[in-house]
Amino acid sequence: MKLFSIFLAMVLIAIAPFFGQIDLHFGDMLNGASSSHILFWQLRVPRVLLSFFSGALLSLAGLVFQSLFRNPLTTPFTLGVASGATLGTAIAIVFFAGAVFWQYLFGFGGAILTVFILFLISRSLKTTQTNSLLLVGVALSFFYSAALMILFFLSDFSQSYSIVRFTMGSLNIIGFDFVYPVAGVSLLLLGTIHGYRKELKVLLASLDFAFLKGVEVTKITMLLLLFTSLAVAVCVSVVGPIGFVGLIVPHIIKTLYQKSSDQLILPTFFYGGVFLVVCDLIARNLGASSDIPIGVITSLLGGPFFIYLILHRNRGR
Amino acid sequence: MLHVDNLSHQILKQVSFTLERGENLTILGSNGSGKTTLAKAICHLIHNDRVNIEGQNVAHLSAKQRAQYLNFIPAKLSIYDEYLTVWDYLKLNILKEEQAHHVDTVLALLKIPHLKNSRCHKLSSGESALLLIGGAMIHQALYTILDEPTANLDQAKKVTVYRLLKNSPYFQNKIVITHDLNLAYKLGYTILFLEEGSVHYHGACEPFFEQTHLKSCFGNSIKNVDGNFVVNYDETL
Repeated sequence: MKLFSIFLAMVLIAIAPFFGQIDLHFGDMLNGASSSHILFWQLRVPRVLLSFFSGALLSLAGLVFQSLFRNPLTTPFTLGVASGATLGTAIAIVFFAGAVFWQYLFGFGGAILTVFILFLISRSLKTTQTNSLLLVGVALSFFYSAALMILFFLSDFSQSYSIVRFTMGSLNIIGFDFVYPVAGVSLLLLGTIHGYRKELKVLLASLDFAFLKGVEVTKITMLLLLFTSLAVAVCVSVVGPIGFVGLIVPHIIKTLYQKSSDQLILPTFFYGGVFLVVCDLIARNLGASSDIPIGVITSLLGGPFFIYLILHRNRGR
Repeated sequence: MLHVDNLSHQILKQVSFTLERGENLTILGSNGSGKTTLAKAICHLIHNDRVNIEGQNVAHLSAKQRAQYLNFIPAKLSIYDEYLTVWDYLKLNILKEEQAHHVDTVLALLKIPHLKNSRCHKLSSGESALLLIGGAMIHQALYTILDEPTANLDQAKKVTVYRLLKNSPYFQNKIVITHDLNLAYKLGYTILFLEEGSVHYHGACEPFFEQTHLKSCFGNSIKNVDGNFVVNYDETL
């Protein structure tokens, strides 16, 4: 069963670039100058790869946050990291109109700034007050939303549209320039979390227990949160705040595997990636004239499935 | 050597005592007298700088070093991770790789090998208590503090745990917190009796259990029947 689902997932990833609004002419594929060749290698393949690594990164980040905060609702988004990126991007859209480069830079800056604000505040909180940090994050999100409203008020129609479009998330890229940073950071995150899996497991057992086993609870928690937030900042500045993936994928994997978090790291990463590839595949092929925003599909598809899982799980007990 | 020097925290008032290497201790006292608080302070779960171990202040030890020296076994097993198994839990107690092979031995000693793959969340309170003790036997800290290790156990399991405490090479120095006077008496460790956060008695076991002294600590709530200490339910308090 496990092998079959991995195989199925691999097949899905492999065939994903072949589907889209424009049909590929297989005869032209090997011809470097043909539109099919360009479409396939410059649009479809980078897009599938970006989907995979974004989904994987956001899902794994969700798993880490839910584990460390011991709260099933926590994701990096709950802490305001994504809102920070959105605000940064919106500032660039309104004040540096047209310059796409500034949008990425400001998006990343907004996320990073949020991470540092959170960590400055967290230094004056105790380890046991992780929920306070969560509340700070929620408060920050509201603050950012208010600031975003001001920007909407200041912006013209097309700028408003650009901002709204960013908040829906987009995997629309050309070439591999943006695939490398997201892929690199997601693999780095996977390596880091995998390296700390034992500490993660002890922390999840009990905080006092971890302390008594010689784990530097505060240090490890902060290190993992910081690193994960930075990874999310990179991802969100490229693809926008694609919500819900980080929330539901870890839960789905946990329900299916019924294992401790340390054994969910790889599955969450892999199937998180697959989930977003599938969502994007649907997003690209449903719309008549243009793609449906990816964030819409993740929530439309994920929401009902998530509720089904919760109901199903409770019935099983 | 474990030395607590003038420790005051919450209920605790200027608690000082020394435990020589090889000496074990039983901490007695009524509910709320500060037994668990004292245990947590010794293990640094409550931060303070009043505890010295082998001449070093616990506050200045590295996390790894502190784990080698001190371990605290709470009265109740509290695990967040709902999928953690008994086997996983015991393995998390391994500080040095060479202790890894102890896991099976400890399961056998506690007579719970059949629970190996059970989830910690599904254990009964008695089984959880045994698992906690198993964890301590694998951890093997220089000083292990056990908070009411027999409180949730049936009679047979109490005997198992008593024997492990008494004879097992898996424990080094033991500090046992208990309300069970028979256990305290049978263990024969040095007694530390706390009353409202202050040390009321610190000394040998035998003199503590003399009738007149016992009465000064517990009033008429305990009576000695043929060398056993039983709760005097008929006593009007």
